Amino acid sequence: MGANIYRNKKPVLVFLVPAFLFMILFLYYPFFKNIMNSFMHIKQLGSSAASFNTPWYSNYVEIIHDENVWTSIKNTLIMMVVTLIGQVGIAIILALMVDNIRRGKQFFKTVFFFPIVISATALGLLFNLLFLYDKGMVNQLLEALGKSQLTDWKAEGIALFTMMLPVMWQYVGFYFVILITGLNNISDELYEAARIDGASTLQSVRYISLPLLHNVICTCSVLAVTGALKVFDLPWTMFPKGMPLKSTFLTGTYMYYHTMETKNVDYGCALAVLIVVLGIVLSKVVNTIFREKDY
Amino acid sequence: MKKRVIAAMLAGIMVLSVTACGNSSNTPAAAGTETPAAAPTESAEEGGDAEAAEQPAAQPAGPVELTVTTTFAGEDTNAQNYKDAVKAWEEQTGNTVVDTSATSDETFKMRVATDFETGSEPDVLFFFNGADANSFIEADKVLSIDEIRTEYPEYATNMNEDLIPGSLVDGKKYAIPVNGYWEAMFVNTEILEAAGVAMPGENYTMDMFNADCEKIKAAGYTPIAAALGNIPHYWWEFAIFNNQSPDTHLEIPASVEDTNGQAWVSGMNDIKELYELGYFPDNTLSATDDETFAMFTDGKAAFLIDGSWKVGGIVGSCQSDPEDPSTLDADKLAKFDVTYVPGKGSRKATDLVGGLSSGYYITRKAWDDPDKRAAAVNFVEYMTSDDVVPAFAQHAASALKNAPEVDPAEFNELQRKSIEMMAGVTSLTGAVQDLFQGDCRVSTFDGMPEIVTGRVDAVDAVAEGLDAYHNQ
Repeated sequence: MGANIYRNKKPVLVFLVPAFLFMILFLYYPFFKNIMNSFMHIKQLGSSAASFNTPWYSNYVEIIHDENVWTSIKNTLIMMVVTLIGQVGIAIILALMVDNIRRGKQFFKTVFFFPIVISATALGLLFNLLFLYDKGMVNQLLEALGKSQLTDWKAEGIALFTMMLPVMWQYVGFYFVILITGLNNISDELYEAARIDGASTLQSVRYISLPLLHNVICTCSVLAVTGALKVFDLPWTMFPKGMPLKSTFLTGTYMYYHTMETKNVDYGCALAVLIVVLGIVLSKVVNTIFREKDY
Repeated sequence: MKKRVIAAMLAGIMVLSVTACGNSSNTPAAAGTETPAAAPTESAEEGGDAEAAEQPAAQPAGPVELTVTTTFAGEDTNAQNYKDAVKAWEEQTGNTVVDTSATSDETFKMRVATDFETGSEPDVLFFFNGADANSFIEADKVLSIDEIRTEYPEYATNMNEDLIPGSLVDGKKYAIPVNGYWEAMFVNTEILEAAGVAMPGENYTMDMFNADCEKIKAAGYTPIAAALGNIPHYWWEFAIFNNQSPDTHLEIPASVEDTNGQAWVSGMNDIKELYELGYFPDNTLSATDDETFAMFTDGKAAFLIDGSWKVGGIVGSCQSDPEDPSTLDADKLAKFDVTYVPGKGSRKATDLVGGLSSGYYITRKAWDDPDKRAAAVNFVEYMTSDDVVPAFAQHAASALKNAPEVDPAEFNELQRKSIEMMAGVTSLTGAVQDLFQGDCRVSTFDGMPEIVTGRVDAVDAVAEGLDAYHNQ
């Protein structure tokens, strides 16, 4: 009788069905409805679609001709590279360094992880103050160092850097914690044997830590790249409406802009479909590149 | 068997919890308002219950919770007045107000429109009476004043009917205004003195303004505090107005080629010219309105075109504690003044933009709720009473029939200067942007940086906006 319950899968179904229905109701139905809405004319958010657009695929034609769409895709791809190098790369370096110290590991873990617990909106406001044109901390520091002219950190040429820096900084700690947990799982015996064989610290990192961290790094990379597709709140707080000159739009912020600001809801729906397609394609590519190895 | 039962129970609990989550948004209101002895509202509406109709002011059986949304929040001059008035009403009636007020911006307008569309509108709404209100008026989601008067004949009778604007949808009057507004030019006189520029007056022209801006710029200050990439609204309005007259300003062009269309294009090009002359802040395309306003109050920018609601913001910047008027630095406040917006062509400087653009609406949702109807009417009557309105109107106009005499001693210096300035106004015209709502604005509002930098031609931007407007 005891083993019989593992053969009978019906109770499992009872648990799965509510979750399945929940997903259908709150994810798949809205998603397919969104696809439908992208072909319709919707006057404003919340109102039902009045009729089909003329032609029905006009929003998708507009997407192709909309310069801001290409800007937002370009910025999102840059964001992916930045998160990959900036977040995962820095996290690897920090994790390897902290793993090699004897005391204070917990302290550094807490310090590096802390930005994760602050809301992105609060961080956006914080960095807004840091990069403020007049009386901002960064400009005050530069002034103290002898710079006579104020720097507009949100000007067109530099805005992308100003936007991506805090995004990068915020998530370093997240990957740092994952990586340091991965490092803790590597047996000390390997390092000890390497030391007996005369390996330096750098050689231990190169030939033991990094190869054995490969799968963890792959997981972090996939998370970072797919996470970059969803970044929204911090960029929107710092650069609403793609300011300046619509140069800082990401795919998510551009979709929100059309849905919530310009009341062009059906075009926002079409952009949402584009984001999903982009997400699926990029996830596939990233999963192929960062395929985990079997040891 | 026992395990199957437990599994089924757990699954049932999961389903119930999901269902409960779905219902939770309706629960508080229902719990707070449900009373067994509901007033016979429907029969009264249908005229079938004479007794109910004869007792319109009947109070609900118990305390009522009203959801109220207004624009009295953030830096709005009346944010504190509103809180005080709500508190007083709650103490007087025993009812409670769930306040969902927020600073008025495009996101707020969208939120209100969405709330109406999704059936989660507030019971009472203080909102714009222009094109922003069209969607919920068209959907019959709010009551006209006349409809409310069928049951509450005294409703809004203390207001001057002629001053209550009608809806753009059907001409009926829905919103009871509290305080009027005006848009004018605030001045930091300290900068004017430093640059050797005289205080502008009633005959101020754009040519004089440009000459003054040049002097101010030469003195090392920023002439105009404005964030063109964030809030170009005031300059948009007056730049267009300067190429029209008070008689034609509210006419939306049929096309970019007609006279008004050309006036709009000229207005955009006027802003572009000011930008190219370097009169706006260096970071005008990337700054927020708060940042450029801070430049003005910190003595770094000389002129600020904004609305009467900004008086409170300027006064607040002169207080060590913005919440406490007793901490006002009167000397600092004395450095600020308000004057007319430089004129051009048929528009005199003293022809300003203003009016009564907002008011209290009662939603049909509250009206159809037998418990909330009386409370909602009572709340609006209280907020628009002869006692409360003057506190909100202050130096601006109101629609009261018996507006009390204004005692200048009650006001701070900037408010007194505002009253003096308003005494010289030759005309007050509504804002054309209140009629020009939705995605038609995008090309010239959000697109202002592209226009002033020359990336988009003003003609194309105006044409795109007008096309969107006429296709709505």
